[in-house]
Amino acid sequence: MSVTQATSQTGAETPRQVSLVDCDIHPTLTMPELQKRVSERWRRHLERFGRRTPMITEFYPRTANAGFRLDSWPEGPGGFPGSDLGLLQTQLLDEFDIDYGILNSLGLLNCHEVPELAAEMARALNDWMVEWMDEEPRLLGAMVVPYEYPDLAVKEIERCAGDPRWVQLIFPDSAEDPLGSRKYWPIYEAATGHGLPVAVHTAGYWPHLDTGWPSYYLEEHVANSMRMQSQLTNFICEGTFRQFPDMRLVLTEAGVAWAVPLTWSLDSAWEQLRDDSPPIDRRPSEIVREHVWFTTQPIEEPDTPEEFAQMIAHAGLEDRLLFATDYPHWDFDSPAQALPRSLGPELRQKILAGNAAELYGLPLAPPE
Amino acid sequence: MIDCDVHCAPATLEALGPYLSDYWREYTTTAGIRLLGMASAYPPNAPTTGDPAPDSYDALREQVLEPFAPRLVILNCLTLCEAHRNPHYQAALASALNDWLIAEFLDRDERLRASLVVSTVDTDDALSEVERLGGDPRFVQVLMPIRADTPFGNRRFHRLYASAAERGMAIGLHAWGRAGHSPTTTGYTLSYVEDYLANQVIAQTHVLSLVSEGVFETIPRLRVALLECGFAWLPSLLWRFDKDWKGVWREVPWVKERPSSYVRRHFRATTAPAHLPPGNEGSTRELLEMVGTELLMHASDFPHQHGPSAAATYELLSDEAREAVLDANAAEFYAFAR
Repeated sequence: MSVTQATSQTGAETPRQVSLVDCDIHPTLTMPELQKRVSERWRRHLERFGRRTPMITEFYPRTANAGFRLDSWPEGPGGFPGSDLGLLQTQLLDEFDIDYGILNSLGLLNCHEVPELAAEMARALNDWMVEWMDEEPRLLGAMVVPYEYPDLAVKEIERCAGDPRWVQLIFPDSAEDPLGSRKYWPIYEAATGHGLPVAVHTAGYWPHLDTGWPSYYLEEHVANSMRMQSQLTNFICEGTFRQFPDMRLVLTEAGVAWAVPLTWSLDSAWEQLRDDSPPIDRRPSEIVREHVWFTTQPIEEPDTPEEFAQMIAHAGLEDRLLFATDYPHWDFDSPAQALPRSLGPELRQKILAGNAAELYGLPLAPPE
Repeated sequence: MIDCDVHCAPATLEALGPYLSDYWREYTTTAGIRLLGMASAYPPNAPTTGDPAPDSYDALREQVLEPFAPRLVILNCLTLCEAHRNPHYQAALASALNDWLIAEFLDRDERLRASLVVSTVDTDDALSEVERLGGDPRFVQVLMPIRADTPFGNRRFHRLYASAAERGMAIGLHAWGRAGHSPTTTGYTLSYVEDYLANQVIAQTHVLSLVSEGVFETIPRLRVALLECGFAWLPSLLWRFDKDWKGVWREVPWVKERPSSYVRRHFRATTAPAHLPPGNEGSTRELLEMVGTELLMHASDFPHQHGPSAAATYELLSDEAREAVLDANAAEFYAFAR
């Protein structure tokens, strides 16, 4: 990190030179802590009935260290990887000299709850992340919203959007309806109106509606990229970007190389079938290049590293890749090692910081 | 009195340690797997859940055998029905649970019987378990939780049913099962109450499937128990089923009799939950008449709590019918000595 100038202490006074941005950090608000932060009515509900959607780890156990970096478990009782700010600062932000890290909470993404509870959970998670951002100025947040209830989600956006540390919204990649659907448009309208990109992160109800349920975590984890391909195709076919010309979409933790053959197939199908889907008003690859970003972790690793660079160049996605560590998960990508050497120093630096700085408007203006 | 549905479950995975291989002990330990006690089916603090299911013979004796003094008890262990999908783990866990049932319960009291736990993701694994332990007459049926990947009449299950029937075992369709699917044909549910009530609709799907696929023509000895699925829905289902069959039987020529006659011959249902109109004796009597008390088998469903409906139902029965529901119907169905 030779070009790093920023230090964590400067914050308000000195404009930062941004040289490393981590676009996917997972903080965890544990259940007892969540229960403290919702109203008595819904605390009682959580105690009596729990959450109605099983966690993905219940379907597909991660066979080592429960799926987390072994060193990410906080000491002491009740801790969980990602629940301790001090440990996150030491192991991640300080260790790699990260200028900005985006908190992508998965706390509401695996839930399908009644509207009032979903809204309270979103509010609790957002308020808790604000506490962390107050304490640690290197942290930025992905706003959690009760996405299955667009009216309530818009309310939460309006409540939070004045704080510039919220740099995006977060959605799961498997929700009740495909994400390009009109059902979710009011949320995209509000987010785009506030200049907030929409991140879609691998998570959700995991219904495996295509072929049924796979057997192993190996299949499930590889399949994350397939689910994202379906979502991206859906956004294009439903005309979501035509409706919201300023919408920016960040596909998170699903890899990137698949996007290249996908845009080829979208283009070639569109040539022949454009009459079938009027919302696709121009070449899909152009739509993708204009509206879509990809986080790197878990980055594809071909045996011949040059092939990754070639693939990215084919689709002209050099400006669209955002570095991510996925801390504290087991497949953490180290900023020092993860990006293929074949990308060259200039492109590597864009991926490590420049693209994110441009997308999210970093460095943030110092607070008034 | 025969109690056809009493639950038991190991409190932790450690209790199954002696019955798991080194590989699975390590797998469960390093993956941090815990038994969640079917928390989505029985949320620990929901009013319907009751106390934790007995995890030892001593607990069962104290909580069920001594207070209720049943002549025989059928134990249903639903521990397998967590969400996980790995078929090898399913098979290993099913075998471990059966070995645990034998050592902890069946070997310790002559009054105890159990449903055989089998894989719910792979029929060959389920078949192997029937072949391994189905010769033990204390395993009276194969446990098939109804939240499943496929309707139970599907051909993939026929060899399992044939093997069970050959050994004199019934099939026990029990409420709940695999998490992850939408519980209803119309999509996800938000509330526990909707999930809870979905069981009686899913049970109807399996009844429809078993009859329509001709399972009882292929395997005439097969018997099916509906456990914790209710029964008040039977008359209306059978009216419609019979009527439609009369119209379109040519599509399914292997269904040779009216669907209701297969159901009446091959199926029995346990009494809890009953979900009958509270305080309306007239309607309850009429409903029982329509169902036919000869189809009903007593179950406490211990430790679950479904309200006063079942107890109120017993008060309306004649002495003869009550005796049949409490004991004789199950004795005949499972071929227990009288």
